[in-house]
Amino acid sequence: MQQSVFARQGTRLALPISIVLILLVGALLSDKFLTLRNLTNVLINMSIVGIIVVGMTFVFVTRGLADLSVPATVAVGGLLVLGLQSSLGTLGAAVVGVLAAAIAGAVNGWLVGYAGLNPVITTLASGTIVLGIAQVFVGGVIVYGDDPQAQDFLTGRVFGVVPVIVLIFIAVVAMGHLLLSRTVLGRWSYAVGSNPFATQASAVPVRRVRAIVFLLTGTLAGFSGVLLGVTLQTARPGIGMGYEFDAITAVVVGGVSLLGGSGTVLRAIGGLLFVQLLTNIMVLQGVPTEPQGIVKGVLIAGAVAIDVALRRRGGRE
Amino acid sequence: MTETAVLRMTGISKSFPGIRALSAVDFDVEAGEVHAVVGENGAGKSTLMKVLAGVYQPDDGTIELDGVAVRLSDPIEARRRGIGMVYQELNLVPDLTVAENILLGSTPSRFGLVDRRALREQARAVLDELDARIHTDDLVGSLTVSQQQIVEIAKVYAARPRIVVLDEPTSSLSEHETQSLFRIIGRMTEAGLAVIYISHRLREVLDISQRVTVLRDGRLVDTRPTSGITAAEMIRLMVGRDLTEVFPKREVEIGEVALSVTGLSRAGEFDDISLTVRSGEILGLAGLVGAGRTEVARAIFGLDNRDAGLIEIDGTVVNIRGPRDAVRAGIAYVPEDRKRDGIVPQLSIKDNISLAVLDRVSAAGWIRPNAERTLARQKADELTVTPPAITPRVDTLSGGNQQKVVFAKWLAAGPRVLILDEPTRGVDVGAKADIHTIIGELAARGTAIVLISSELPEVLAVSDRILVLHDGRISAELPRGASEQEVMHAATGEFVS
Repeated sequence: MQQSVFARQGTRLALPISIVLILLVGALLSDKFLTLRNLTNVLINMSIVGIIVVGMTFVFVTRGLADLSVPATVAVGGLLVLGLQSSLGTLGAAVVGVLAAAIAGAVNGWLVGYAGLNPVITTLASGTIVLGIAQVFVGGVIVYGDDPQAQDFLTGRVFGVVPVIVLIFIAVVAMGHLLLSRTVLGRWSYAVGSNPFATQASAVPVRRVRAIVFLLTGTLAGFSGVLLGVTLQTARPGIGMGYEFDAITAVVVGGVSLLGGSGTVLRAIGGLLFVQLLTNIMVLQGVPTEPQGIVKGVLIAGAVAIDVALRRRGGRE
Repeated sequence: MTETAVLRMTGISKSFPGIRALSAVDFDVEAGEVHAVVGENGAGKSTLMKVLAGVYQPDDGTIELDGVAVRLSDPIEARRRGIGMVYQELNLVPDLTVAENILLGSTPSRFGLVDRRALREQARAVLDELDARIHTDDLVGSLTVSQQQIVEIAKVYAARPRIVVLDEPTSSLSEHETQSLFRIIGRMTEAGLAVIYISHRLREVLDISQRVTVLRDGRLVDTRPTSGITAAEMIRLMVGRDLTEVFPKREVEIGEVALSVTGLSRAGEFDDISLTVRSGEILGLAGLVGAGRTEVARAIFGLDNRDAGLIEIDGTVVNIRGPRDAVRAGIAYVPEDRKRDGIVPQLSIKDNISLAVLDRVSAAGWIRPNAERTLARQKADELTVTPPAITPRVDTLSGGNQQKVVFAKWLAAGPRVLILDEPTRGVDVGAKADIHTIIGELAARGTAIVLISSELPEVLAVSDRILVLHDGRISAELPRGASEQEVMHAATGEFVS
């Protein structure tokens, strides 16, 4: 008992300690690392994928495995906001982009929650379909935006320091965190992920909860795609590729269990921060892209192994 | 008993935390003999057989095979030494053929490929030896349950065991199918096998066995030749368990009918169940394992679908399609399988208690922390959950306290009808007393209670009225003050008293 309490505290503190350590390592390796300019860049890079991480955390907590349709829903948001910009205005086009992604998320949710299909296969399939539709819509080429004011707004800085896009990211994280930790839906999410049978027997609408988290992830990925499109003022169907992997990496490194029932939005964002800082250090040190990928892969495998080991030790009998 | 015993177990004892499952049990079986083992639920039959199968290691006692002491360290070792187990739940692969299933562990092969001809021939030989008329090429999934059972027996028999244990082999068989099973058992004993036969059906025990061993509370009551015993006598030996820590029942005024169930049926599980429970009344639901008690409870609560049947609460028909409907109608269910259906392990005590009634402690979807804490603390205190803190994870608690948390969850819902399925199973004596007290208090407050328990003394002491289930049907309704013997007669389908 004593020991397990100690072990639990140890795992709780592991992530913050790691973040502090990596900050120290970065500062030692490069004098460009601990500058306001560099760290702000890290935050800007985090913002787009960070919004997706919030949704992916919900998927993990409910034991929904993962949403692999993220690249498609990001692309839908990015393509629609730029493609419809001229006819609807940027704001109107953004709303349509997010809604379209939300519809894709709702379909995922229905298939996983109500039809009981495997989430990985379902989102892989739906992602391919949605991406195909998006490609048909834009004709497979790059879409360019024509609203530099919107771009300037997102990349502009409040009080000359914090970029607007980072503020949006922080707001989404705050809302996601409150949703998971303070609301009935959040509590239900933990319960569904921990023991769906007992949760159903406790009069919780298990299927609805499972569906909602995919709707949420689709919506957030679509929103993320809209921000990405507006920031770049250019979008192609492959724009969202790799975001699902980065989001999963962050969530797993943040110690949110693939087996459901535990983890928080803030820890997942902590995992994202750690990965982003690590990547940033590698970039500053001139490490080529390929080894960076290897490091990320090892990080995921290691985090999952630790999760399984902790579960096994924590489990009784 | 004799020199020819194939198996001799002497002084076998086995304890689990808080329970002494077997106390110095002696048991032996001879070649060519069918030795039946009978006893109430929890008498120790399964534990004894699991010791024999190498699943459990005994705390004390010796096991001899052919006069040589052995240690059955695991199920593989037990199988290697010639012990074949046919469990109630069949271990077959439905998508493979009969022949493939029979020879699953020892599939004949040539050059690393399955030798289909040898496979078919060997399986045919086994089936012929047992005089079983089943095609070797049929898919097991397409067979009837009784045919599947024969395949299971053939699979065990193909490994050439010395001893075969049949655990409740007839629970899903018709009269006719039982006869063909008996023919197969006859073939096995003729071939010199020793057969251990576990059954609740006393008439079958009388028909098929040469000796019968009666267990009660993990102790050996007696081993006798079957020719010198009657069903009524067996029942007399089975009952009379120690009355442990059952609280005296409170006298409560019984009111109007709260729950009424009419013609409840679910294919293969239970048929035409009708019952009523009044406000303040405790209705005991007795019966042997597999009689359908839990299945009835799950169907009333909406965890399983029902094929037919009407459920009324306070005279109003309610349409229950799931637990949400049931809870809304005022029904609560403390499940038999606490780990699966009761607790949510990673959540705290507080979160478990409030789970079913979050809407009552929240506003517009936001949980009100103070309201939730107050509710959880109040219910946890009412049930004297230990520790008194409500923040620890529920899976850090003892079994008894986990059960109290499940109770607290449903107390928080304030149900009209509370169904309790084995509410004191696996809980320590202290928690058991607390749970009995709370059951009495709930009845006094006017809750209608359905109590399912495999512990007859508990059902008899706590209930106002007892329904006995046998093979998915109600076989008797007994008043308060009925004897254990009367209940067992109805539960075993032996109405000979």
